[in-house]
Amino acid sequence: MKLREKLIQYDQTRSFSAWLYKVAANHCWDMLRRRKIRQDKETDDLENVPLEHPDPNQLDRLIEQKTSEEVRHALDKLGARARMALVMRYYSDMSYDEIADALGVRRAFVGVVLLRARHELRQALGATGALAAGGAS
Amino acid sequence: MREIDHSLPGDTLEHLDEMTCMLYVERQLDRTRGQEISQHVQGCSQCRTLLRAMERESRLLTRAMLEEEEPLPSRLAQFQDRARRSMQWIWGVALGLAATGVYALYTSYVEPWQSQLDQAGFGGSNLLSLLIFQGAFWKGWQSVITLLEVLAILTLAGFGLAFFRRRSRRGSAFALVLAGFCVIAALVPPAASASVTRKGNFVEVKEDEHIKGDVFLFGERVRVNGTVDGDVFVFSTDATVSGHVTGDVIAFAQSLHVSGEIDGNIRSFNNNLTITGTVTRNLLIFDETLNLDSAGKVGGSVTSFTKSLNLDGNVGRDLLLFGEHIGIAGSVGGGIQARGRTLSISSGAQVHGPISFTGDEPPEVSSQARLASPVDFHRAEHKPRYTEGSVYVWQVIWAAAFILFGLVLFNLMPGFCREAVANAERYGASGGLGVLVLFGIPIAAIIACVTVVGLFIGVSTLFIWFECLHFAQIVVGTLVGQWLLGRTSHVWPLIGRMAVGIVVVRICTNIPFAGPWIKFFVIVWGFGAIALAVYRRLEPSSGAAAVVPSQPLMPPLPPTTTVGGAQLA
Repeated sequence: MKLREKLIQYDQTRSFSAWLYKVAANHCWDMLRRRKIRQDKETDDLENVPLEHPDPNQLDRLIEQKTSEEVRHALDKLGARARMALVMRYYSDMSYDEIADALGVRRAFVGVVLLRARHELRQALGATGALAAGGAS
Repeated sequence: MREIDHSLPGDTLEHLDEMTCMLYVERQLDRTRGQEISQHVQGCSQCRTLLRAMERESRLLTRAMLEEEEPLPSRLAQFQDRARRSMQWIWGVALGLAATGVYALYTSYVEPWQSQLDQAGFGGSNLLSLLIFQGAFWKGWQSVITLLEVLAILTLAGFGLAFFRRRSRRGSAFALVLAGFCVIAALVPPAASASVTRKGNFVEVKEDEHIKGDVFLFGERVRVNGTVDGDVFVFSTDATVSGHVTGDVIAFAQSLHVSGEIDGNIRSFNNNLTITGTVTRNLLIFDETLNLDSAGKVGGSVTSFTKSLNLDGNVGRDLLLFGEHIGIAGSVGGGIQARGRTLSISSGAQVHGPISFTGDEPPEVSSQARLASPVDFHRAEHKPRYTEGSVYVWQVIWAAAFILFGLVLFNLMPGFCREAVANAERYGASGGLGVLVLFGIPIAAIIACVTVVGLFIGVSTLFIWFECLHFAQIVVGTLVGQWLLGRTSHVWPLIGRMAVGIVVVRICTNIPFAGPWIKFFVIVWGFGAIALAVYRRLEPSSGAAAVVPSQPLMPPLPPTTTVGGAQLA
């Protein structure tokens, strides 16, 4: 229903899938906002959160060991925003601009969102401690 | 795409941070930054490892999500949509091709073999009657059953079954098949009931003996000196038939010497066969050496697959010979078709028909030999078969025949086929079980054949095993199709994937040198998957097991143990 209402706003010069994601994302955000559980979703928060640097060798080993199925299970455990960012980028092959548009963030912060999502994913894969232990600066 | 403005700490980079690596991997940095990073990672193994890890992480993510719900890349998805719309055309072309294939198979293989076998004296007006109704299938299954014939027959049978299944209640088609087997099984025992079976180290039909009915003889040494009014089946190391047999002699022996009189045919699998007596009808021989002595006489024709063949005696009709060394010194009433390395025709030879020889060396023909016409010699060409255009035409026909076979199987037993394809993804279990079953079943079947009571079961098992060789390729083909076009649980899309996969598998199995090995692994793999599906069907349900309290005599397995490819809960 919502999609039908929004359809008249669709700009035909732009990607339909990107527009569809944006509508879906906005709808989800609206729902979350209504439930008052939308927190630290603004880019300012993201900017200030330091990310632990992984140990390259351990990260490499972790990636090598994990199967697609394990990754899918881990994806299920992620927050909505992180999962959405990963899906848009690695499944729908959307550009950073399109992702920024869909998530309602500035383009410069898409990388941060994606990197945070990756960290969450690694955490869900059960290797946070190991990965955060080493690393370079 | 707009470049992101993400600066590096400076020119003298110690190590790259993760964000920079990710942006570099995703091609989000401008050219200058990209070059700086490229230069840096060339000399920094730690950053190189990090870059590689992040790249692999991206690929893993993409793969994980693409595998989940059959999401095809958009190009493939569009293609699939277009294909779905024009499905009727695709199936029309596929079925037309398959029908052409079946016709070509019949005219190129079945008909010539049929006429050849007719000529060889197996009688019968068509192949089906030869195989089944005249008993040749049961006692003479060694008569040539080519793979193509079997495929053609099964395809027809499958269509027949599908037709019945559609028009009758579920399971009635299988009941029909079962009833058919039962009828055939019921027809076999009367023949066997009138038979005589003898076993021992030394087994003999004495000179003054006259046996009415078939005789089965098992022994280290077998002698048939008396008269047998029926067929003689010999399983022996050293066998001699010096008496009179009014029927056929069917022999599995290391050495067989026939010095008596056989009114019927000889069909044999031996190391050595020597004939000094008389065979009124024909020979069908799979031997290492065959000697037809100058005193020996064959009234009909000789079809022989032997390494070395010496023909000094008389043959009433044609010769069809496949062997390395072929020597003719006797009299041949018909023509000769031979294929081998060498052919020599000695001075005493008389051949009343045309002679055609395909071999490595020109035939040696004595000037004193009396021939109806000169030998028509064709040098066997060993050029790579890939240079011949007809090979590719046949490959297309083969692929069509496989697809047709798969189509029939998927329609007849969709559930079982789906299970088999799913099992193929259990690589370890399928591979292991495949090796076991591929080699184990023929051995068990041959043992069953040797024990006369199990002949029917043994031959049927071999037949099923033979068909599973092809089914295995179809199973693996379907899996490959699913890899390419995504998973599905619906029958027709699955058949579409099967068709695509079979084409891929057929291409792979025809790669020079590696092809045969690929084919072997495909068969082992598919065979294992089928065996797993059969095992799952046959294994008792857990409910039934719970009723039996004294079942586990061994300690319970740990929960992660794998049994028959299935992980215990």
